[in-house]
Amino acid sequence: MLKLIISHEARQIARTGALWAILALLVGAIVFAAWSGGRSINRQVEGAQAAETFEDGLRNHMRKETEDYEAKVIAEGGEYQFASVRHSPGSGPPQGTNAGAVGAETSKYVTLPPTGLAALSVGQSDIQLNYLPVSMATTLDVTKNLELENPVNLATGSFDIAFVVIFLLPIFILAMSYDLLSSEKERGTLAMILAHPISIRELMASKIISRAAVLLTVVLGFGIIALLTVGTGLDTADTWVRFGLWMIATLLYSMFWFALAVLVNVYGKNSASNGTVLAGIWLILVVIVPQLVSMLATTIYPAPSRMELTIAAREAQTEAEKNFMAKLDEYYYDHLEFVPEGDEKAMDFLTLAQANNNSIEKAVRPLYDNFQAQLNKQEELVQRFQYVSPAIMMQLALNEVSGTSANRYEHFLNQVYVFHDDWKEYFGTKFLQRYPLKPADYEDFPAFSYEEEPFTAVMARLMPSLLGMLILFLSVVLVPFLALRNYQVAAR
Amino acid sequence: MLEAIQLKKTYGDYDALKGLDLKVEPGDIYCLLGANGAGKTTTINLFLNFINPTSGTAKVCGIDVTAQPLETKKLLAYIPEQVMLYGNLTALENLRYFARLGGHDYTQAEYQAFLERCGLQSGAYAQRVRQFSKGMRQKVGVAIALAKQAKALLLDEPTSGLDPKASNEFSELLIQLKGEGASILMATHDLFRAKQTGTRIGIMREGRMMQELGTEDVSHADIERIYLEHMHGDAGRYAA
Ligand SMILES: Nc1ncnc2c1ncn2[C@@H]1O[C@H](COP(=O)(O)OP(=O)(O)OP(=O)(O)O)[C@@H](O)[C@H]1O
Ligand SMILES: [Mg+2]
Repeated sequence: MLKLIISHEARQIARTGALWAILALLVGAIVFAAWSGGRSINRQVEGAQAAETFEDGLRNHMRKETEDYEAKVIAEGGEYQFASVRHSPGSGPPQGTNAGAVGAETSKYVTLPPTGLAALSVGQSDIQLNYLPVSMATTLDVTKNLELENPVNLATGSFDIAFVVIFLLPIFILAMSYDLLSSEKERGTLAMILAHPISIRELMASKIISRAAVLLTVVLGFGIIALLTVGTGLDTADTWVRFGLWMIATLLYSMFWFALAVLVNVYGKNSASNGTVLAGIWLILVVIVPQLVSMLATTIYPAPSRMELTIAAREAQTEAEKNFMAKLDEYYYDHLEFVPEGDEKAMDFLTLAQANNNSIEKAVRPLYDNFQAQLNKQEELVQRFQYVSPAIMMQLALNEVSGTSANRYEHFLNQVYVFHDDWKEYFGTKFLQRYPLKPADYEDFPAFSYEEEPFTAVMARLMPSLLGMLILFLSVVLVPFLALRNYQVAAR
Repeated sequence: MLEAIQLKKTYGDYDALKGLDLKVEPGDIYCLLGANGAGKTTTINLFLNFINPTSGTAKVCGIDVTAQPLETKKLLAYIPEQVMLYGNLTALENLRYFARLGGHDYTQAEYQAFLERCGLQSGAYAQRVRQFSKGMRQKVGVAIALAKQAKALLLDEPTSGLDPKASNEFSELLIQLKGEGASILMATHDLFRAKQTGTRIGIMREGRMMQELGTEDVSHADIERIYLEHMHGDAGRYAA
């Protein structure tokens, strides 16, 4: 009996022109989203490569000069010397022997590698660059290309597949089921059907199953197509596990919207009012509530703007330049062991620049840390309030699954800070020691390789969102399920 | 057999049905008469278990409809005042779907035979019913009822709006079904056809059965007179 109604429903759905139109729209949106997401990730990867190639080129050039210089020293005899800026260009040791020059004038690009699904949910990576230049400059300089924005702004998110799933998929689901029962009522066919030995629950179950089948086909089909077109690392288990989680999240999210349509149909009056109510709920849950939560986060935990940070940096710089002698003393105070003997305090440009940077870093770092702390608090608040809207839970879940969450980014940043310190330490020390860099030393420069967080950490952050959606679904579905027991066909 | 025992239905504080007793035997065509709002549709809806009775029992072939609704629905066929079908399906597709819902399936030829028996023009079988006239839809509704091979029929003003010829054909079909031993309960406003087709007549008013008659025993004129007498008391009801 179920089978009969299900195939009947499938035929009804197939003969509904509007659904084909929405489906076409969805297909178009997904194709565009896949293209745009793929492009966004490609741009990042290419940008990272180009930047890295450029900087490596600079360093290689310096290395080449030191090699030539070394060969010359060996051939002609003499001492392998450290290039100080006093040397006039063209003569003497090349800049490549000066650790300060190498460490400050070339950067090492550090990259957060995208997961296989990154293109499906661009998430944070659109506003937070996945590759950063680490040099002896200040932390602020390292992160200066970051758009330090509200971490969870659904509305300004880029047009990726996550956007289509969060915003448009519910519309397809609601279009398919907003008049699930009401249309039968209005058409008068409900009484015709229920005069036959079918319970209303069976009828509803068949209707839901047929639509769920359509939906499953659409979601799975599109999901796999999206993965195959813009996903990467398809040969790794990681990508497929992530894809499986993506599908679970999408199904939970879809089931919620379904259950909502059923709920409204059981209590609703006519198709028109059902449609209005559901559209209203969509607007509230998908557009308004996420905005409010995000506003709440930025209001309770305001983060200083990028502008304020820049101004603070400027002030620190001016301050430093005003009494650079004091700063220099301070710098040497920080690196006591390297204070040159006698009165040989290096007055060269690089040392001063380092002294400057150090003082700016000291002045700005608390501000910057505060800034990051505020961002973290905002993120925490959003995570705590995610349960008020399935759209927020879904966004967080998809970002998490795709490796574009704020948390993974923070994990990356923390490694960058450590690496930044290593870099400054390595080159700063060698510079102060006036140690002349040899070509062989180029092999030993600090190297960065992102250490992925354990998958359990990802799951631990993902679970609350998934469970939240599951519980929301169950609570929404339970009500109509119980209510259908006493459904009065002829009730007015 | 259809049986109502002290059937009551209250909507809020309004008593739509105030303890109705009624019995339709196999081979009976029982015509329910009564003014608008008398409770005819309410009675039929109760037999269909579309609504729950406030008290009392409705039985189909001895089975309580609230206790075993799916069982009783197997035995029932229902033709509402407006037969409603799936507009984007053809007459045959609609018939087939509803027949299968009732647990029957037939060959294509048999389906066509049902439609033919109900007087639907053969050109319309494969047409989508969206453009069907009311009469054409009623005919498909009758075919659905026939295909269900029901023991009891519930008809709620099935011929209102049908042209005289269609109405006549419908009456003849009912008489055939009566001959096959069906119990038929029909709400109608058509006193003339009630007398012609029905075997028994029940006159309802304000949720009560006022009088039951055998159509053999009375003339057209009698029915009209008795009916109006019962309705007459109504005149003062809303005037106060
Ligand atoms: N769902 C409902 N809620 C409240 N009152 C109702 C409801 N359904 C029916 N009624 C009332 O019950 C009474 C009986 O209605 P019913 O539809 O059974 O009348 P009827 O005899 O079929 O009339 P008609 O000849 O107009 O079809 C009417 O007064 C009607 O207003
Ligand atoms: Mg009625």
